[in-house]
Amino acid sequence: MIRVKNPQDFWAGLLFIAFGAAALWFGRDFPVGTAMKMGPGYLPLYLSWGVVGIGAFVTLRALAIEGPAVEPSRIRPQVFILLAIVVFGLMIERFGLAPAVAVIALIASFASYEMKIIESLVLAAGLAAASILLFIYLLAQSMDPWAWNI
Amino acid sequence: MEVFQNLAAGFGAAATPWNLLFCLFGCLIGTLIGVLPGIGPIATIAMLLPITFGLDPLGALIMLAGIYYGAQYGGSTTAILMRLPGESSSVVTCIDGYQMALKGRAGSALAIAAGGSFFAGCVATVLIAAFAPILASFAEQFRSPEYFALMLFGLVAAVVLANGSVIKAVGMVILGLLFGLTGTESQSGMVRYTFGVPELYDGIDFVPLAMGLFGFAEIMTNLDRKEGARVLAAKIGSLLPTREELHRSMPAVLRGTTMGSLLGILPGGGAVMSSFAAYTLEKKLSKRPQEFGHGAVEGVAGPESANNAGAQTSFIPLLTLGIPSTPVMAIMVGAMTIQGIAPGTAIITDRPDLFWGMIASMWLGNLMLVIINLPMIGIWVRLLQVPYRLMFPCILVMCCVGAYSISSSTFLVTLMAGFALLGYVFAKLGCEAAPFLLGFVLGPLMEENFRRSMVLSFGDPSIFVVRPISATILVATLGLVLLIVLPQFRKTRDVAFQE
Repeated sequence: MIRVKNPQDFWAGLLFIAFGAAALWFGRDFPVGTAMKMGPGYLPLYLSWGVVGIGAFVTLRALAIEGPAVEPSRIRPQVFILLAIVVFGLMIERFGLAPAVAVIALIASFASYEMKIIESLVLAAGLAAASILLFIYLLAQSMDPWAWNI
Repeated sequence: MEVFQNLAAGFGAAATPWNLLFCLFGCLIGTLIGVLPGIGPIATIAMLLPITFGLDPLGALIMLAGIYYGAQYGGSTTAILMRLPGESSSVVTCIDGYQMALKGRAGSALAIAAGGSFFAGCVATVLIAAFAPILASFAEQFRSPEYFALMLFGLVAAVVLANGSVIKAVGMVILGLLFGLTGTESQSGMVRYTFGVPELYDGIDFVPLAMGLFGFAEIMTNLDRKEGARVLAAKIGSLLPTREELHRSMPAVLRGTTMGSLLGILPGGGAVMSSFAAYTLEKKLSKRPQEFGHGAVEGVAGPESANNAGAQTSFIPLLTLGIPSTPVMAIMVGAMTIQGIAPGTAIITDRPDLFWGMIASMWLGNLMLVIINLPMIGIWVRLLQVPYRLMFPCILVMCCVGAYSISSSTFLVTLMAGFALLGYVFAKLGCEAAPFLLGFVLGPLMEENFRRSMVLSFGDPSIFVVRPISATILVATLGLVLLIVLPQFRKTRDVAFQE
């Protein structure tokens, strides 16, 4: 059984390989051309192979040389942060700025283990008001403060 | 002297009430994010890009530049009082600054840091005013081969100076270049890697990428660690340094300023590298190296001067050649593009008001920063006590609304979530996002310049070595590559980063 001695590099290498392989696959129809007369596929091809090669090297090296472990992730903060961004994208055009901001501020505050519900509600309301003031009144962005387009 | 006339005109442009206000605003924000750990200048400038839409170009650039060098001032406060780097360029200040604070000399350390930064800022401003025009007129001879060589040099330098594994940094640069190629290819009009999404036809938008990779990834990694109340190390005490402290820090400030100014101009240099190099230099030169780590005043004066000098002179490659040498400068390119200004040699001749106004604002900004940082230190310390659980939702809201407001596109918001996740994974796997960002910005430019070079030479690749300037740059690039390979240099580099 091969032991991974450097987990950070091992996964980083695999990530490089994955991106390179994806770039090769989706770029397979680009005309490559020659160095003298580069086609749109010239750089993508060589860069993709480059990143695959580096990924392979980093991954293999991780089997031979000791290195740092990947620090454990906490699931809750990451899920709530990403959820907040996605929910903003879903809400902003349907419900307008203020509701979207208030809701995502509330969702985001769940990302912290130390959140207190009253404090978060106040913060959410404050941010909603501040964002209307800043983005709509001061910066004159074309956004509705509230809307109902479902 | 033409320089003085130009500078006078610059002061005229920068000293209008509105521009002074933008300068002050930038410096205040910069100090704030400098003081607060967990949010850096890259994320902040990206966050404020949408706000600059409505400003005139000079005001916008003055404000954004103020954030960057303001952060250099603010960073030292947290480093000295709490042994936390408020900014990555203040990491080394933690070592001796905090020890000084424990000995009751916090006030003096803060004053020396601010004074050294101010001196460095003044020198760097003069340097930019004196040398940028010369460099720009020299750069007028540059054609695509020279630009291509210069960008290659910048990318290699970014790899050499990146923190951590060299080979992973190379991987990140290439990955960044690949992401940069997304969108419509200029010559054939072919669209690449857009997956049919019309928002990607002009390439991946810079703002969601930078906000995701830097702003959100920072929040997410911070939340992985245990939060806790931040505690002050000591009372600030008297701001006046003793005669001996002054005597010892003066040469360190001079050396730090020189070091920072030089490293700032180099691609890949900038504030972080400058502070590390200055600390190592001070320790080497000192007659009392054993005092380093136990509150040596040189260990605060040198790096703090160097990081501010480096932050400012890193504008030189951007303003004269149009090439971003650090991630922060890459964001400034984004800001200029939003304002419809093409960064490059033409700025000085076409928009002298902009160029000289920005330089003058740097001096004014430094003056403001000394006042913001020293007498008002108490306010910043109190802000440090604001818990992180209240801070990060504010950053998140600013980023989301900002990303949406760029083009009223919900796609950009979703894209930002993707880059947030990617940035978090990068951070977890020890992959630096800074080389990625540089690759992303330079990718399309390099492709374009390489192609133009080939047209210029009718397909003969020797054009890069026949032209003297491009050949010189390529030789320098090769030298940098050799440096990485040499075991001796690797050892010093590793030591420098460990300290």
